[in-house]
Amino acid sequence: MKTTKTTTLQKPTLLLWSLFLSFFLFSNTSLAQEILVKGVVKGLVESETELLDGANVYLKNANESTTTNKKGEFTFPKKLKKGDILVFSYLGFEKQNIKIKEDTSFLTVLLKEEDIEMLGALNSEKRFKSKRAKQ
Amino acid sequence: MRLFLFILLCLFHKNYFAQKSDFKHINFSKADNIAKSYKSKDLQNLNKITFALTQNLDTDVEKFRAIYIWVTSNIENDYNLYLKNDRKRKRYKKDSIKQKKWNSKFQKTLFKKLRKKKKTICTGYAYLLKEMSAIVGIKSILVNGSGRTSTTGIEDLNYANHTWNLVLLHKKWYLCDATWAAGIPHPEKGFFQFNYSDAYFLATPSLFFFNHFPINSNHTLLGKNSKSFEEFIKMPILYRGAHEILSAHEYPKKMHHKIKIDSIFTFQYLVKKDIVPENIKFIRSKGTTEKTIVPEVLLKNKLLTLHHKFKEKGFFDIHLYIENMLISTYTFEVFE
Repeated sequence: MKTTKTTTLQKPTLLLWSLFLSFFLFSNTSLAQEILVKGVVKGLVESETELLDGANVYLKNANESTTTNKKGEFTFPKKLKKGDILVFSYLGFEKQNIKIKEDTSFLTVLLKEEDIEMLGALNSEKRFKSKRAKQ
Repeated sequence: MRLFLFILLCLFHKNYFAQKSDFKHINFSKADNIAKSYKSKDLQNLNKITFALTQNLDTDVEKFRAIYIWVTSNIENDYNLYLKNDRKRKRYKKDSIKQKKWNSKFQKTLFKKLRKKKKTICTGYAYLLKEMSAIVGIKSILVNGSGRTSTTGIEDLNYANHTWNLVLLHKKWYLCDATWAAGIPHPEKGFFQFNYSDAYFLATPSLFFFNHFPINSNHTLLGKNSKSFEEFIKMPILYRGAHEILSAHEYPKKMHHKIKIDSIFTFQYLVKKDIVPENIKFIRSKGTTEKTIVPEVLLKNKLLTLHHKFKEKGFFDIHLYIENMLISTYTFEVFE
């Protein structure tokens, strides 16, 4: 008699657990397909910020990308999932990688101007003429 | 210890020979065709451009090739921009704060021009190559240093004036110079002429060094065979043709020579392909007078040896031509 009682008690607990677990798994996958990411990209030039027009926003290791408009705004064309990495780049600025979280919806990205020494030597096919040989 | 030395030797050996011939088995025509047929009016969506260039290519070297060919055939070298920068950099040479301020302002103009007009100067070429490679997971770095040509005086070489790239392909580093490969600027006529040369793609390190002295000596890829700046500025002047025709410039090691009249001088090179001896000549110039010299030619297993006897005294510029291409220049002071 005692034994039967214990079994009847265990059954609903197991069911509850599996229900809880499947709900957790289900909710996680459904969330993963749902993230629509919008944002604004700004650039930092000598302690002043400006909106970056035409900054590249792309999903790392995938052919999915967009560019910002004149106001620096973007809406990523593909819905993202948790753990995806968005790369923000703009020629002359340091790249930034941002990992998408469950609650990511709006990103404000600030890119720093890269410190590059700008140089330019011309190639020349002009034949050499030494000063002494001119005499 | 022996094993360690052996491994070290292998590593060094591998690095030393990092050049285009490592990829002899790869046909670049597919990458080249993709690069030549893809057009974009600006660089606003760099990611899209890079993927379009590389998505149908399998290996990293082909992907890099497509990017390199696209950059060298679409980005124009802006001579006015170069002049402006050169002038200001020289003016602020002794004032590092002013130079930095100018650089920052100039950088902004430069990148705007690159993004919207596809025009730039060396650093822009190298930077773009690095950025596009990064999009497809290929590592590349910018190398700053002195670029030496027939028109850069020694004083111009005292500070860094040029930027090129090192690229990591299949675990080895390679040299390239997209700026010089793209074409030739015509300053007096005020335009840039696209004229691609394959000579600076995964270039032979020992030849590349004749025109490129990096600030960091590790960037020569020559290991302990790297030379000092003093030695660099004394080397003969090599032109584009040299990088296309030669695989090594063996002798002479220096540009200037002082020799006794009637002595025989030897020049030695390794050539990439067989050359008809009749297509090899020297032009000797003194002031406005020029004379064609036919040297004694010995060509054996791609080793080209030239002999010439100097029979007149004076100061001469000697220019080597192979198949009508200007290869190199030396100067000779012949005394009695």
